[in-house]
Amino acid sequence: MCEIIVITSGKGGVGKTTTTANIGVGLAMRGNRVALIDTDTGLRNLDLLLGLENRIMYDLVDVTSGRVPYKKALVRHKKFETLYLLPTSQIRDKSAVNPEQLVQLCNEMKSDFEFIIIDCPAGIEQGFKTAIAAADTAIVVTMPEIAAVRDADKIIGELGRADKENIKLIVNRIRPQMVEKGDMLDMPDINEILSIECIGQVPDDEYVVTSTNKGEPAITMKDSLAGQAYRNIVGRICGESIPFLKPPKEGFFTRLKRLFGML
Amino acid sequence: MKDVVKIRGLKSGLQLLFDKTAPFDAIKDAILEKLTTGDKFFIRGTTVFIDKNNFSAEEIEQLRRLFHRHGMLFSENLPVTKPKFSPPPAPPAPVVEQQVEKEKVKPTLVVNRTLRGGQEVRTESSVLVFGNVNPGAQIIAGGSIDIRGTCRGMVHAGAFGDQTACIVADKLRPIQIRIADLIARPPDNMKSAVQAERASIKNGYIVFEPILR
Repeated sequence: MCEIIVITSGKGGVGKTTTTANIGVGLAMRGNRVALIDTDTGLRNLDLLLGLENRIMYDLVDVTSGRVPYKKALVRHKKFETLYLLPTSQIRDKSAVNPEQLVQLCNEMKSDFEFIIIDCPAGIEQGFKTAIAAADTAIVVTMPEIAAVRDADKIIGELGRADKENIKLIVNRIRPQMVEKGDMLDMPDINEILSIECIGQVPDDEYVVTSTNKGEPAITMKDSLAGQAYRNIVGRICGESIPFLKPPKEGFFTRLKRLFGML
Repeated sequence: MKDVVKIRGLKSGLQLLFDKTAPFDAIKDAILEKLTTGDKFFIRGTTVFIDKNNFSAEEIEQLRRLFHRHGMLFSENLPVTKPKFSPPPAPPAPVVEQQVEKEKVKPTLVVNRTLRGGQEVRTESSVLVFGNVNPGAQIIAGGSIDIRGTCRGMVHAGAFGDQTACIVADKLRPIQIRIADLIARPPDNMKSAVQAERASIKNGYIVFEPILR
């Protein structure tokens, strides 16, 4: 049985591609056969995050236009053998692929994979409509910030209009210290506005940047907090019930300062 | 006596109809009188439509100046395209006929979900929402609005001039609130009320008050 998941957000820069790469790797680490489809035609990044840029031969546009079968365009990950990437074209734009073509492609791929994860472009235009067309499940990524939450809300409405009922939420780049001080939206605020099931709360983590540069998603790093959060998300996607991470203990000096502050 | 000028309310403004036999000066006087006596129809910014076939170009120009002086927008072309405030299933356009008490009972529109950013409900009737109205969403209703949830969007009750319309929500936290022709914005740091609130027009102001329900 294959599950098709689209990762979307509305707003750009909240971490759709990073989330796609991490969830993809995480599912593959558990032995699932996973295909990642990048639909951000013209602005492709997913290959970079996975460190696969130099292995690309064909792309999504070649496949949907019938030039090559999809198996030829798939790029296998160098480390995780059950993880494949279907990259998109960097030259063409979003009009090169239409929703029907993507649905047809996913139907073809269904029998070969346990998970197909589609990385959606930012925005609510054609690229978005193409990306969500085939999905059973949508994961909306947002950040604890009013603009990102507003856009996520809009996206949830659009998904509802497209009859996508199974919608999950991931809140990315949370800074616990700022939340504690009340400078950042906290989870109850976000949940109250968006009111959909939350499957992940990912803290802001420097590892994510360094791992992006190296082409190895943070989920592979044992000591990364974001990596741990992504591992938990993957578990929840697989149906396990895992409690959310507690914000990290504050350091000795911070505690000391607070103590003096109280005195 | 037959009125020299008749006012017809349109969704996007007012249409003036004239007694064809009356002289132009009489018409002008009649309009001026309506404008200066503070007839509640002539709110600043209202568009006034006049059929240009009734008048010469010079007369039209005089009328245009007259309306502009009183803060009105002037148009010779009736809005044939969809008027700005038309509800989605458009029943016949005119709602207000002068001196005629409308208030025909229209069924309340029930919205059985949360209205999310970018979504909009427009109707001539009242609206009942079982869910939240999120920021970026808007409701424009001819009647009153009742929200069984939190209201954080833009809500406009009595959009076609009903000053008795009110807005009720379990948590009334709108970005902007409009009733009939009044617009209000909650203060920047409003205390959060514990109980449901109702907004309505009192003495020309939009007033929030807690209610029990």
